[in-house]
Amino acid sequence: MAQPTDHKRRSFIYRQLVSAGAEFTSLADAAVASRYRNEGDARKLGIADLSPLPRTGFKGRQALDWMAEQDVAASPHNNLANLQPDGCLVARLADTEALVLSDLEAKSTTVEKLNALEPGVGCYPVPRGDTYFWFVLAGIHAPDCLLKICGVDIRPHKFPNHSIAQTSIARLSTIAIRDDRGSTPAYHLLADGTSAAYFWSAVLDAMAEFDGRPIGLESLIALN
Amino acid sequence: MKLMPCPLNGLRNISEFVCGGEVTEMPPAVTASDSDWAAYVFMENNAADVVREWWLHVTSGYWFIAERHTASDEILRTYPASELFPKRFDFEPLDDPTEDQGGSD
Amino acid sequence: MRLAAPFGSLIDRDAPVTFTFEGRTYQGFAGDTVASALAANDVWLISRSFKYHRPRGVLTMSGDDGNTMVQVGQEPNGLADILPIHDGLAVMGQHYSGSLVADRDRWIEKFSSFLPVGFYYRAFFKPKGIWNFWEKLVRAKAGLGRVDTSTPHGYYDKAYAFADVAVIGGGVAGMAAALEAAKADVEVVLVERQPMLGGSLNYTRIDVEGTSGPALVQELLGQLRAAKNITVMTEATCTGWFTDNFLPIVVANRMVKLRAGQVIVATGAVEQPAVFRNNDLPGIMLGSAAQRLIRIYGVKPGQRAVVACYGGTGYGVALDLLDAGVEVAAIVDLSATPTDNPRRQAAVDRGIEVLQGYGLREANARRDGAHLAGVVAAPITGNGELADEQRAIECDLLCMSTGWTPAASLVAHAAGEVSYAERSGSFMVRAVAKNMQVAGAVSGEWVVDAAIEEGRQAGAAASGQDANPVPVPRAPDDRPPQPWAIFPHEKGKEFVDFDEDLTVADIRNSVAEGFGDIELVKRFSTVVMGPSQGRVSALNALRLVQSHAGRPLEGARGTTNRPPVTPEKFGHLSGRGFEPVRLTAMHDRHVEADAEMTVAGAWIRPAYYGADREQALQDEVMCVRNNVGLIDVSTLGGLDVRGPDAAEFLDRVYTLSYARQQVGRARYVLMCDQSGTITDDGVACRFSDDNFYVTTTTGGSDAVYRTMLLWNAQWRLDVDITNLTGGLAAVNIAGPNARAVMEKICSEVDLSAEAFPYMGVRLARVADIAARLLRVGFVGELGYEIHAPAGMGEALWDALMDAGAEFGIKPFGVEAQRILRLEKGHIIITQDTDGLTHPHEANMAWALSRRKPFYFGRRAIAAQMKRGLTRKLVGFTLAEPDGPLPEESHLVVRDGEITGRVTSIVRSPTLNRPIGLAFVAPDQSETGQSFSIKGHGGRMIEALVAPVPFYDPENSRQEM
Repeated sequence: MAQPTDHKRRSFIYRQLVSAGAEFTSLADAAVASRYRNEGDARKLGIADLSPLPRTGFKGRQALDWMAEQDVAASPHNNLANLQPDGCLVARLADTEALVLSDLEAKSTTVEKLNALEPGVGCYPVPRGDTYFWFVLAGIHAPDCLLKICGVDIRPHKFPNHSIAQTSIARLSTIAIRDDRGSTPAYHLLADGTSAAYFWSAVLDAMAEFDGRPIGLESLIALN
Repeated sequence: MKLMPCPLNGLRNISEFVCGGEVTEMPPAVTASDSDWAAYVFMENNAADVVREWWLHVTSGYWFIAERHTASDEILRTYPASELFPKRFDFEPLDDPTEDQGGSD
Repeated sequence: MRLAAPFGSLIDRDAPVTFTFEGRTYQGFAGDTVASALAANDVWLISRSFKYHRPRGVLTMSGDDGNTMVQVGQEPNGLADILPIHDGLAVMGQHYSGSLVADRDRWIEKFSSFLPVGFYYRAFFKPKGIWNFWEKLVRAKAGLGRVDTSTPHGYYDKAYAFADVAVIGGGVAGMAAALEAAKADVEVVLVERQPMLGGSLNYTRIDVEGTSGPALVQELLGQLRAAKNITVMTEATCTGWFTDNFLPIVVANRMVKLRAGQVIVATGAVEQPAVFRNNDLPGIMLGSAAQRLIRIYGVKPGQRAVVACYGGTGYGVALDLLDAGVEVAAIVDLSATPTDNPRRQAAVDRGIEVLQGYGLREANARRDGAHLAGVVAAPITGNGELADEQRAIECDLLCMSTGWTPAASLVAHAAGEVSYAERSGSFMVRAVAKNMQVAGAVSGEWVVDAAIEEGRQAGAAASGQDANPVPVPRAPDDRPPQPWAIFPHEKGKEFVDFDEDLTVADIRNSVAEGFGDIELVKRFSTVVMGPSQGRVSALNALRLVQSHAGRPLEGARGTTNRPPVTPEKFGHLSGRGFEPVRLTAMHDRHVEADAEMTVAGAWIRPAYYGADREQALQDEVMCVRNNVGLIDVSTLGGLDVRGPDAAEFLDRVYTLSYARQQVGRARYVLMCDQSGTITDDGVACRFSDDNFYVTTTTGGSDAVYRTMLLWNAQWRLDVDITNLTGGLAAVNIAGPNARAVMEKICSEVDLSAEAFPYMGVRLARVADIAARLLRVGFVGELGYEIHAPAGMGEALWDALMDAGAEFGIKPFGVEAQRILRLEKGHIIITQDTDGLTHPHEANMAWALSRRKPFYFGRRAIAAQMKRGLTRKLVGFTLAEPDGPLPEESHLVVRDGEITGRVTSIVRSPTLNRPIGLAFVAPDQSETGQSFSIKGHGGRMIEALVAPVPFYDPENSRQEM
């Protein structure tokens, strides 16, 4: 079985995952928690740590145009994400900024491809894999759980799939992206990696009344 | 809690924002008198009227401008800073750099 | 005594509950409150009053008074009339010594004439020092309940909620409003503080038979169940209104923060007590309280009753009492002439004597003083005046149905207007804020059908179906105003405010003292300031103040109404107490190495390693000076400034010049604000022509980042600013052996002094981790800062510790770093500078470019220098190196004048003598000059200005 410390790149909270009973699978340069002993029910409420999965970002006045030249299409609207044919998700945060998230199975090569290029003036890569942790909160109780820590109305009928809220969640500046898994509501949550341990415990605390627990990447993928 | 309409993020709790004070015009950096400069740095108009203010949406790092009535606290309009600052600003150069205050380089 | 069904709509007779009160065991039913269950057991004395320790019992049965405050376990001030019982609940009364029934502090009332209104402000301060005597007594006797500071925190949390239309109050007006609003496709939330909807129709009697009210509630409940877009919250209290319809709603241990587009306030009205001698005796309660006991809890409220009233409502109370088997001795009707009301006729037909035009002179207590024994009524001859002839009536229950006041707190919070109206004899809502409406009794509409119609109108307008909101203020109607139910007595004890034991005389005396305004009377007398916040006292207090001050009542406002409407617990306010904490990637390694951690803003950092602080600091410092040490500096801010205008941008925000900085070099950065005050520093590393990596102080990155964004929103330079602070872990490896360690794990860069000199920067792999390498250092030794992706920070730390093991590398903490930098004379912004320090004062004139037209603070610094320096930061040592050490912030004093202060001081482990930085007057700042520091106990310590750096003044070691 893979261990987080097999790799130089480690999730910001790998110790918490280990104590929660996580079993890990190695990706390209890090190990992701793929399942747990005593795993939560992803359909009801679970939280997964996807921090080891690929992601990147671009900023600057030419950022969206440059990405389009690479056949990576951001939404025409700010705060809306766009699913790419290869399964990666492009989240447009502003006229000058977008975030690219790998598909959950890490089959998409878009992040790798973009990171290998050197954009010119007006487009600047941002290492979002380093600056942000990446959690997913999924399950039918996910909206109610988020409402305990988030002041934006993210309930499904008010916050369509692929909507983005850049807001304060549990008092941490967070990017929340709704990206349902099949019929199950799911939200990507990305924020400052150095606060990952704080955020993980704050969300677990909010999840407790719904019997929410950590879930592995496999459960999340199986929701489709 | 008050709501603030952010041009980028829509209607949000005011706790997501930081106020950056009134939009003021900087006097000419080199030629302004000391008293004009002191007024620029230290004086607040504090008018009971509609004022233009800088506001930052903290999470998205987005500065914009709000027109707010200071007596009623009503926010009348918010818009991107580019509406007031459409183009590049450059300072007038120093006539004789070496005549300036002490320092290196 | 319990009444048979259908009385007792809320209790479950199949679910008995056992609880204790004052140590005795009682039985009630599920659905009971403490007070209703005690009443069913014929226990009426529940608590004692705050000031005079008078016996108190049920007054409102709705949580609107402070008479029934009880202690439950460690929690004081529960309201027994709304506190549900459960098995094992242990309840105690409050404010007594010994026992509730035989309170040893009842004597206090005998001294009431020595405790005049406002005595707090007049006693205890003369002669000087007397407070020390009184304090013990006052502290022991004052206060509400018993606070146990060892009580563990309960689990309280918060949640956001959203609604297009929020309806506050689930009486018939609120129910109708919710139903009507829901006809549009909008989200409706209906909030009711009682366990069931229906409001006053759950207890009041609106017809002779007493059946149409409950039937109406059932009909509306049926419609509500059928509506899909209405969320009903019961046992949920809206405790205030905040800007833009932000409504805190307390539900059990949660505070829901409800944001509503429109608010309909349908909070009803609160019945008001009459004011007469001994009106606070247990057994005297509001008519609505007796009806709640009968209909909701199935409790017989007494054996023989008198009802004081003025209109139909009180006759409904009398009929309910008869149906509950209570003998009704008389109805004291305060109206001069009978009103034409079917309920009145029915009461007369059932043989109840009506004393028309009578008021209440006084109530009399049983011999033990703890319950009502009878009342004395007399004909009314004027406002508050009674004829000499009188009727004494024996009774153990007096129901007061003499007036109401609208529960308009939320209207007032939203800056609506609520003031007294002669035509209603009460407060009236005269204006409401936008996006708010009122419906039902709160607006002054008492008639059930009309209240429902108002609710419908409000619901239609709030949901956008109709443009016509409920008109405010209401048009005048032909109903008679509420009577003047205040009857002063020559012997006093007519309580206006039960919370504070304030009587008619106290209000009168306050006005006589010159406090002629209700806001002033409030502050002087404390009227309406107690736990019930004026809900059952504000109306009578205002009437008394205005009449004694000779001011008109019409349009008079009560005291300013502020949230919360009803008490909130601190737990509700604090919720889960979210405080984000930032941990570096190496945090667990520090903990494993036995680091003592310290808080730096949101960060947690190692202060030093090991249990013995002094030894740890000595060892860590010497290891850096003589060998090699490693410190986690991930908390430093890191910003990428990229684009063709990057250098121009840095020129504007920092004091030095960056246009001609070489690629591969670092340069110091110093930031000031527009007033010339130093705000931050760091280094700018140029990795290419248009790519700078700028560091900031720990905790400075957010402010620097925001400042940069704000100014470039105005300058529009072609530059992008990215905050990488959390994304980069960083370490500083420092000491003579630093290069040797680095050479083991960083082979792709020539680390020699010639190829990679001091202030050089490189991009290189360290231990196979892509990193930014900076040959800078705060501590004055050969050193490298390594900034690498945060996810690999732990691996980087491990690699360096492994590589350094053969040299004896040691981690060092913030405290050792602070000593090391002080030995080098480097300042720490905000420790060695303050909110006014400009660069010249801190000997940083070298960092001010002369070639630029602008940088933050340039003009202000120049203007300040025209006035000359007023202080200067200098290095110093002590004349007696082995003498006592002054501390940071100890003052520099000359001829009794303060000329400066110590900003940093330490006994240098390297130099083995005290060194420090201090602000001194400019004429004290020459090397070798002495100055005096006022140390502990006022002891003057002589210091000598010394050149900095104290250690390695040639800076040869960092450039090795």
